Amino acid sequence: MKLRKFLNKDGTKSVLSTLISILIGLLVGAILILIVGLVDSKLGLKEAWKGIRLIFLGLFSKGQQAGRLVFGFNSTNIGDMLFRAVPIIMTGLSVSLAYKTGLFNIGASGQYLAGTTATLFIALKMNTAVVAPWIVWILAFFGGILAGALWGAIPGILKAFLNINEVLACIMTNWLAANIVTWMFEGSGLQCTEGTKTQVIWKTSHNGVATAKMGLDKLFPGSQQIDGGIIVAILIAILVYILLTKTTLGFELKACGSNRHAARYAGIRDKRSIVLSMALAGALAGAGAALYWLSGTTEFHWQTYLSLPSEGFTGIAVALLGSCNPIGNIFTGMFMSTLNVAGSKLSFFTEYNEYITDVIIAVIVYLSAFSLLIKMWLTKRFKKSEDRRIPDVVYTSNNRPGDEPAPAHENKGKEGSDK
Amino acid sequence: MEQQAAGAYPYVIEMLHITKEFPGIKANDDITLQLKRGEIHALLGENGAGKSTLMSVLFGLYQPEKGEIKKDGKVVEIRDPNDATALNIGMVHQHFKLIEVFTVLDNIILGAEDTKLGFLQKKEARKKVKALSEKYGLRIDMDAKVEDITVGMQQRVEILKMLYRDNEILIFDEPTAVLTPQEIEELMQIMRNLKAEGKSILFISHKLNEIMEVSDRVTVLRKGKYIGTVETKDTNKEELSRMMVGRPVQLVVEKDEAHPKESVLEIKGLSVASKLHKNDAVKNVSLTVHAGEIVCIAGIDGNGQTEFVHALTGLEKASAGSITLCGKDITKASIRKRSLTGMSHIPEDRHKHGMVLDFTLEQNMVLQRYFEPEFQDHGFIKFGAIREYTDGLIEKFDIRSGQGPVTKARSMSGGNQQKAIVARELDRNMPLVVAVQPTRGLDVGAIEYIHSQLVKQRDEGKAVLLVSLELEEVMNLSDRILVMYEGEIVGELDPKTTTTSELGLYMAGAKRQDKEGKAE
Repeated sequence: MKLRKFLNKDGTKSVLSTLISILIGLLVGAILILIVGLVDSKLGLKEAWKGIRLIFLGLFSKGQQAGRLVFGFNSTNIGDMLFRAVPIIMTGLSVSLAYKTGLFNIGASGQYLAGTTATLFIALKMNTAVVAPWIVWILAFFGGILAGALWGAIPGILKAFLNINEVLACIMTNWLAANIVTWMFEGSGLQCTEGTKTQVIWKTSHNGVATAKMGLDKLFPGSQQIDGGIIVAILIAILVYILLTKTTLGFELKACGSNRHAARYAGIRDKRSIVLSMALAGALAGAGAALYWLSGTTEFHWQTYLSLPSEGFTGIAVALLGSCNPIGNIFTGMFMSTLNVAGSKLSFFTEYNEYITDVIIAVIVYLSAFSLLIKMWLTKRFKKSEDRRIPDVVYTSNNRPGDEPAPAHENKGKEGSDK
Repeated sequence: MEQQAAGAYPYVIEMLHITKEFPGIKANDDITLQLKRGEIHALLGENGAGKSTLMSVLFGLYQPEKGEIKKDGKVVEIRDPNDATALNIGMVHQHFKLIEVFTVLDNIILGAEDTKLGFLQKKEARKKVKALSEKYGLRIDMDAKVEDITVGMQQRVEILKMLYRDNEILIFDEPTAVLTPQEIEELMQIMRNLKAEGKSILFISHKLNEIMEVSDRVTVLRKGKYIGTVETKDTNKEELSRMMVGRPVQLVVEKDEAHPKESVLEIKGLSVASKLHKNDAVKNVSLTVHAGEIVCIAGIDGNGQTEFVHALTGLEKASAGSITLCGKDITKASIRKRSLTGMSHIPEDRHKHGMVLDFTLEQNMVLQRYFEPEFQDHGFIKFGAIREYTDGLIEKFDIRSGQGPVTKARSMSGGNQQKAIVARELDRNMPLVVAVQPTRGLDVGAIEYIHSQLVKQRDEGKAVLLVSLELEEVMNLSDRILVMYEGEIVGELDPKTTTTSELGLYMAGAKRQDKEGKAE
């Protein structure tokens, strides 16, 4: 009985449907690897078996010994996975927040770029000899958030005041951002001049600005990239969850997203709510960019006018897969970056190239849209056995759950016969 | 042979002991409905009594857990609507299923077109439709587009759709909900014509007047149970309403003399621009509503009432004039400001404005109050307080739902949704109550309840501004009647001295008063 109650919970069903989506996605990926392995003369069955194991267990790969894969706990992998999860958890939150308030934010890429630009300019242009690096870090972090928010607000304003579909506006602001960002960095004098690398911007650590490790480098020794960013991201996810479920602001935003007319009728300023939703979504994407670049361990390729950063779109997958639940996004974000790690292992240890993981991600994204269907299917399955158990009770003032079931209605025909 | 045998059998459709369950509720519990050949059989019940479920079973949209359906005495299995169509069962839905940009004729033949080498053959169809429309007195314009014709004509198109398919069993689902009094009269005549031609009609309604007027027999459902079937000529409205609700119902509102006091709402020269045409939708309307009276704005739908209410409540901007509420000028105030100054608003469209359907009942109950200190603390919602408040309202206003405060508003019946809105608005205890068609689409039990609540508000010294299209409601409930015609107030009438036909003349624009209140 307890199990049934647990299974029937909405949250349980969401999680289950997500897990099923992921499992099917991985299986499809495995089949794909098998087919490619059999078709390609370079590969073969043995290589395919390696590939399949890496897809499922890439995170725990400990390299090769005498041509055999070794698996086990690998702190480097896990540290890298957590680091790479940070930006996509944040863009996932961005999409989730917008979605929960009735908007589809496909503009996380542009907002991410806006955040990137503001963060890098502040972190690299400020003189850390004068201003303490940690202050610069904070300024750069909030600069990124603000830039993302402003960029996100544009489609919001267009939607609220001119009734322009936010999806269209987002696509346009994405490419606007991509071009403006390229132009801004071109004349910025921030290009990295070290070594043989070209077309990249200095790491923020070049200016002495980097996110604190918060002891995580001790916890995951070997990972060059892990830092406190993941902790900040998890905290922000919790904050978004609280905002959406516990606050009056969240109530307003959700009411407006769910029925703009009713919200307006109730005195909620609908236009403000729409702009605010998009601005908050943008701020989250911007924060993701800030956390990623402020790590000080990666360089930014500044010629973005040809392609948008993938974080924005992966964010959609992260959000959908997690049923747009902010807490769920933490896990789906980590899962996506696990696949990312698995992909790099795949290309490292086998003849496959890592793009096969992109195919798996694509399958999972499609399935995440189906996760609603899977959820309905689960509901039906659970209902079948449940149906016979639910007593015929309508909730009224006189009969609450827990009370005795209402007495049976009068006999049929009684009213008809007593005339 | 077969035809003859079928003809001898008195019942054309029988639904025997139908039981249909949904999670948490038995929508139909052992219901039997027998439709005689050539009769008008009314199916009566409150919202949520199981009428729609029963019809969906007949149409193959739901499969019943128990029971069987017989056509001409033979058991049939109806698995989907195509099976129902094959059995010559047709239905006019409450919300018409017409394609707006198609012509009337195209809509009628849609799905049953004659073609020759893949080309439409409309000539024969046109002849057949013309013959049908003359035979049954169904006036239509075959070449007009559906979007351009009146609701009444749209309904006639729906009826012709059924007749064009040679349907023998016609189901009308709440057909009068959208019609004007004149159109209702016409529909009743059409139904009699259909019956005279041997069609069998199932008439779903909760309007007792119409049932008494047109039906031969009545089957009553209540809360998913079969209550009984009676001959219309042997019964009366009181008995039917008692069967339907399960207790005696007050059909006429009981109320004492009004004692109007100080003025609460004053509107001067209010005009509202129209979204549809160049003329103003509301023209220079001035009126006053006092504490302790119910003022009713009567009129035929589309004469500026909606725009007037929107301007009053702040959903739309007024182009001229002033609105004073409790001595404060609110002409340019925000919706929330108006609401807090002292206005409750029971909106016309409960799904568009009244509720956020994907929210739970309790969330809907605090839609205008979530920011008050009672329900929030530093921006954090006090869930316990909201639950307690909602439980209180559920108890006080008898709102029924599947899971109480956490029921999704969407899953509640229309009557209970409306009850919830009324509860929310009246419990805010504001000096002015604006109630727009508060009983639209509701059954007698709920209507009685809402009427008595509005009278109670009046007696407590609230000013009530009622906007209604229902003549009966206007005459019963109001202390003063203002008639709106083409955006103007064309007359002020006293319900005690005026008659329905007099009111009708004002509503139709045939009569109007001058400034001094004299008839012109």
